[in-house]
Amino acid sequence: MQYVADMKGAQTAGAAIDIDRVSHVYAGPEGGVQALSDVSMKVGAGRFIVIVGPSGCGKTSLLMMMAGLRDHTEGRIHVHGAPIPKPDPERVGVIFQEASLFPWLTTFDNIEFPLSLRGMSREERRRRSEPMLSLVGLSGFGERYPHELSGGMKQRVSIARGLVQDPPVLLMDEPFAALDEQTRMTMGHELLRIWSTTNKTVVFITHSLTEAVYLADEVYVMSPRPGRMIDHIMVDLPRPRTYEMMATDTFGRLRDRIWQQIRKSH
Amino acid sequence: MKRWQIILVRMAILALVLGAWELAPRMGFVNPMLLPPLSEVLAMLKTQIARPVVQEAIMITALEVIVAFIIAVPIGAAAGVAIAEFPYAGAIFKPMLFYVFSIPKSIFLPMFILIFGIGFQQKVAYAAFTTAFVVLMSATAAVESVKSDYILVARSFGATPLQILRRVYVPSMMPVLLETLRISMIFNFTGVMIAEMYASRTGIGHLISNWGENFQMPQLFAGVIMLAVVAIAFNETVRFLEARCSTWRT
Repeated sequence: MQYVADMKGAQTAGAAIDIDRVSHVYAGPEGGVQALSDVSMKVGAGRFIVIVGPSGCGKTSLLMMMAGLRDHTEGRIHVHGAPIPKPDPERVGVIFQEASLFPWLTTFDNIEFPLSLRGMSREERRRRSEPMLSLVGLSGFGERYPHELSGGMKQRVSIARGLVQDPPVLLMDEPFAALDEQTRMTMGHELLRIWSTTNKTVVFITHSLTEAVYLADEVYVMSPRPGRMIDHIMVDLPRPRTYEMMATDTFGRLRDRIWQQIRKSH
Repeated sequence: MKRWQIILVRMAILALVLGAWELAPRMGFVNPMLLPPLSEVLAMLKTQIARPVVQEAIMITALEVIVAFIIAVPIGAAAGVAIAEFPYAGAIFKPMLFYVFSIPKSIFLPMFILIFGIGFQQKVAYAAFTTAFVVLMSATAAVESVKSDYILVARSFGATPLQILRRVYVPSMMPVLLETLRISMIFNFTGVMIAEMYASRTGIGHLISNWGENFQMPQLFAGVIMLAVVAIAFNETVRFLEARCSTWRT
């Protein structure tokens, strides 16, 4: 439980995630490619953050760096008060594009995969995966294989898998991009419900401006490569969010501001 | 169509083919010297199987097939995985291996005879040689078929390289690998047969080739039936293992 101590440090620093002037240059065959340029952001504990930006702007790279899955060349990334040089499932859970469930495992086994890596007993694993399954609304589907589930259900399993180790930070890389519009809306709503019961800090990447405004406390807008933070927007809509809010002027203004920022940066 | 109907139609087709085999030579539609009636072939099969020489030939052929398979699969699989996993090895060896793979392996048979003679070793060496290539190619494809997403997911949950190998690579590759085993068994059997028919003193392939040269058609067809039964037995054994392994989980 190392991160508990770190969390105290982070609280005094006031941020669950602290990204300070991070730049990244990829080594390419014709010299380096600048992917990120001087990116900074501070994420308060329990906040729901959305990052938007054009394709290839480096937002996925940035997320992978927060997950300890990728290096950066300059700057500093702290998650709950400490650097994250390699993945640490106790601090950070990642939910990927598409469902990326293992097709050879049942729903239970997929959710319990992170626990089984740590050699936890079968009973203990089941004891922890069952509440996760009901949290994402899939009780009774534990013995199904991924190919027997719909796209939305797979992504629910993926969320349960990300939550099963109870990390304080959840990183989500366009988790609903492959879903149809209605399912996507429902899943967004579901995610907010889950988030409100679990108190996680969420960093969520999307291309959808509506999704961004609907979900976020704060939206960060990134420029095309090399990715920089070009805007930071507070979404002051009340919670819980409702579908009706999408029709309000405030919602429209916020979405429009993000859109203008993205358009200007091209 | 229901299952019993499918089986019924299959049986009917089989009966038709076997019936035609029996009647066509008897009624003079085909030359009985070239295609002896089924009953004659079956009688000959019974006589042949009773002969110790034939029994020995079956045992030897089966043993050659098994030994060659046991040698070829690990070598081919290890080489295939190495080529897929180590970019340098892949860059160097992959084109070369694809060139060699495209050459009909039977042209190397005379070399195998010069090195190993015409006994057991030569059959095993030649069959293992042909089979290892098939296994190698499929194993490479199997490793490359593992989605990088799965590896990323496992890494994000803190999996060690060994855990990634055991928990992601192996189950992910399993369907392709089992299919590979079955197909390579067919190549393996073919390898043994070609080697036996080319130059040998025993084995079913040798018997069949001899009977053909001496125009002993009932014996020849009896040999074909024997061989078919042994080949199907091998194939079904691997398929049985495949079905057993498909339910295998981590």
